[in-house]
This record gives sequence, structure tokens and C-alpha cells, in this order.
Amino acid sequence: MKKQILHTETLDDSILWSNLKKGDEKAFSILFKKYYSHLVRYGNSFIPFPEKVQDCVQDVFTDIWVYRNKLNDSVVVKAYLLACVRKRITRSQERDRIFRLSTSVDSIKFLFDFSIEHHLIADEITADKVLRLNQLINDLPSRQKEAIYLRYNQELTVDQIANTLDINYQSANNLLHRALLCLRKDWKASISLILLLFLTAF
Amino acid sequence: MQHRNNYTEIEDFLADESFHLWVCFKDDQQDWEEWTLENSSRAKLVEEARLWLFAMKTPDSDLSAEAVQNALEATWMKIETKEENKNAIAQPVLKLWKNQWFRKIAAILVIGLLSGWFYNDHFATKNSALTYNELINENDEGLVEQTNNSDKPQIITLSDGSSVLLQPNSKLSYPKIFVGNERKVYLSGEGFFEISKNPQKPFFVFANEIVTKVIGTSFKIKAYANQPNIEVVVRTGKVKVRSNELIANSKDELIVLLPNQALRFVRKNLIFNKITDITQDETLSHSTSNIEQLGFEFTDIPVAQIFKTIEQAYLVKIDFPQAKLKDCYLTTSLGDQPLQEKLKIICKSLGNNSSYEMNGNQIIIISDGCN
Repeated sequence: MKKQILHTETLDDSILWSNLKKGDEKAFSILFKKYYSHLVRYGNSFIPFPEKVQDCVQDVFTDIWVYRNKLNDSVVVKAYLLACVRKRITRSQERDRIFRLSTSVDSIKFLFDFSIEHHLIADEITADKVLRLNQLINDLPSRQKEAIYLRYNQELTVDQIANTLDINYQSANNLLHRALLCLRKDWKASISLILLLFLTAF
Repeated sequence: MQHRNNYTEIEDFLADESFHLWVCFKDDQQDWEEWTLENSSRAKLVEEARLWLFAMKTPDSDLSAEAVQNALEATWMKIETKEENKNAIAQPVLKLWKNQWFRKIAAILVIGLLSGWFYNDHFATKNSALTYNELINENDEGLVEQTNNSDKPQIITLSDGSSVLLQPNSKLSYPKIFVGNERKVYLSGEGFFEISKNPQKPFFVFANEIVTKVIGTSFKIKAYANQPNIEVVVRTGKVKVRSNELIANSKDELIVLLPNQALRFVRKNLIFNKITDITQDETLSHSTSNIEQLGFEFTDIPVAQIFKTIEQAYLVKIDFPQAKLKDCYLTTSLGDQPLQEKLKIICKSLGNNSSYEMNGNQIIIISDGCN
């Protein structure tokens, strides 16, 4: 059943995509509205200039339409768009750095912070645990955090993550694996600490 | 939906969209609730996964539907301009590009231009703007380098008795002992040279792009690597200046300078400007140091005062037996002599086994009084 949900979604996208390739403005607009704010949010996690990010996202869509004849048929639209936005922002950052004559041109940082689903949490112990876990996730190295975000919030496959981050499959897999391993270890340690604190408090 | 029975790790749940729906939106089409309660170890795992999901929320987007609509319109505008540009420029260029011959010619042109640029880039640096380091590398005599990092001028005595007053932030490279028929030193920055006379062994100062040749005189060279001009100011004697032959496009020009004449070399276009009266030149007349202003013509002057003049000129410290030399007066001309020569002449005039010792900027006069 889960497979089916995913399937209909990608089917939808791929139909829109092939219509777009044929020059269907409506398909373009639907895809734009569907993904624009996702992409802006993703872009905002790299650089603190919201206007520039929106500009980059719009440029990505502009190029998609202008060069629609050259687009690949079999893409997962969401993964493709995320990868395009990321590349575009990286490139614009590098260009800026060259003009500023700065030395570091290393890859851009994922500055995004995960937040907490407060309204779903009823009791204090859970709230404490979630808060701690949230801190652990946000303290992960930026690339690991980005991999987690792409995997569990954007529901990309490992393959698509590798493509977005411009690394090979194995590296993407390792990135995710290391992030989860690290989280689980710290989480176990802190859970027992929280429980201990609560036991002594009562 | 049965594959969820094989879930063993938290991330298995995190990747399951229906699990998301159930946890975050209470949308339980897949009967997660019931499935969870079937098995206690399963319930524990589900509880953990729930916490993880709670902690991994993506902040809500603050873009309104209107903002997205505006962005879409802006994008259509961008598309329009881009397509116009593309049609206007790309079509003819593309057509041309499809021509085999055009491509070949373009490739040849690009290669030609690139190699030309490379050649220029590679050799042009050698053509103009010679640096101190390049000059030093040319010399294989085993040079000693002295750098003045202090805020006061520093006196350097060379093996032939010549002295150089090196200004702050300047350096001089010279051989420990001059061998052969030439005396060569290398300057970066500013220095006042007093060269001991030796017509058999001309003295050369290499400073950036110019070479100054002297036999025995005193003069100043100002050649900082980061300044556009090089200056040579002559105090006594005769000085010849030419550009360094390492500069390919240098003119074979030789400038002869006499006392109180100067030369300004514009590094950018390798041009010599001769200044026949240094007092007329604004920048030169303001930048004279002590040694250039002080006179060394002494007529019946107490030796203590002569020492004081030398101390001021060379920024050295002279210790002498004050009581013994109290009544000594000298008449002498020390104008274009190097420091050591000056001291030698003074000691000789004093007689009575007078001698001097020099240690850095400390000079000790040993004397039993004058004749």
C-alpha cells in the first residue's frame, strides 16, 4: 500500500514532467506551485539571503522551461529539482567567493535546523526526550544533517541523495549510516540520563 | 503492508510515509495502532520512532499561496527575456557552429590565442618588474642578507670598507668578501651608500630594474618593491645608472648623475627621468635623511663634536675617552668617505696609537689623546 502511495505521486509527477516537455504551460505551473516553497526552504538552509534563494529557484525553473527539449525523460522530479537548486546555489556562492577573493571554496554548509512537533506531545517526559533528540540531530555535522533531511523529510532514495549531493552511492549510504549510528549511540546515553533525572526528582 | 513486520530499526519507520501520516496527522489508514499493539517489542520500537519524528520536523514554509503565485509570474517573465535572448543570438551562432570549417578555425584561433597569452604571461613577468628575489637568485656568489626590521636606520660595513646606511623595512644582500673585478650588492628598499674608492673594482648596486655603477662616491637609492618609482640621489662623486639587462625590452640607456642630481625611474614603462636639481623636486627635498643633510667639512672643530656628527649621521654610538680628547681640534674633509674611512682618518689625525673598534652600531675609540 505504501508502495502504491509513492507510485501515484511519482506517476503524477512524471506525467506532468512529460507534458511539460511537450510544452504544456499548465503542467509547468502545477509543478512550480507544488515544489516552489519546498525548494526555497531547502535553499534557505544554505545561505541567509532569502531573495537570492528565490532568484536561484526561479532560475532553475526558467532553465527547465527554456531548455525543456533537452530534459531527461526518466527523472524523479523532486530529486531533480532539489539537486538543481543545490548546484545553482553552490555555484553562485563560489562565484561570489571568487569576487571577494576569499580562499575557502569548500562546499556550502547546510545551516538548517529541525524543529519539534510540539502540538503532538502530551507529557513532560516525552517533551524532554524529544528536545534532547532534536538537539542531537541538529548537532550532527552539516552534511549528515542534510542527508537525513533529504532521506526522511524529502523522502529521497539513497541514490537520489547521492545525485543531489554530487557524491557516489556508497558515500551517500555511509553518510546516512554514520549519522544514524551516531544519533543512536548518543540517544541511548542521554535516554538513561533523562530517566535517571526523573527518577531522582520524584 | 506486510513488509512492516520486518522493520527492525527506527529508520525503517522513518522512511515509511504511511507511518508519517499516522504519527503526524493521525491518519491511520494502515491500522498502525492495531499493528503496534500486537507485539510489545514492536510497540517499543514504534514509540522510539515516534519520538524521532517529533524531533525532526521541518519548519513550516512561510511562503503564502500569493507569494508562490508572484514567483511563478516572475519566472514566466524571466523565461520570456531568456527566450528572446536565445532566439536573437543563439540561432545564427548555432548555425555557424554547425559548420565544420568554422569549428576548425575557431579551435585553431583559440589555441593560438591561448599559447600567445601563455607565452606572454610566462615571459612578460621577466620582462618588467624585476624583484629583489629574482635578482638574488641570479647571483651565485653566496650572499649574506641583512634586513632592517627595526624602526631606525642600520649601518652595514662591507668587506671593502664601504658603508651602507640601511633604512627600516629594507634589505641588502652582499657577498661576505668581494672577489673578482666587480663589487655587486642587491638592495630592496632604501639605503645610503658611501663607497670606498677603487677604480679597478667598480661597485654595482642592483635595485629592482636598475643597476647603479659607481667607483667611489656617496649616494642614496630608494627601491621599494611595492612602489612605482625607483630613486637614485647623488651626494658626491659620479654615478652611472642603466636598466638591468635581464629586462628584455630595456633600452640601452645610460644616465650619468653628478652631485645633487637625481634620477627617478618609472617602473611601469621603464622610463628614466633625470632631475638636475634635487632642491627643486618636492618629494626628494622632503625625504632627505640626516646623513644627506649633515656636512662633513670640519675646520678646527673639537673632535667630540665630529664624533657627535657621525653619531647623528649613521645612528651609531661612539665611546671615546672624553677627558683625553678634550682639547683635540681637527680640520678635515670627510665628505664622501665611508664610515670606516672617516674613523680611520680621524684616528690617524689624532695620532698617539689611536684606533677604533666597531661592533654593530657600537664604536669604541681607543686613544691616549692627541699630539
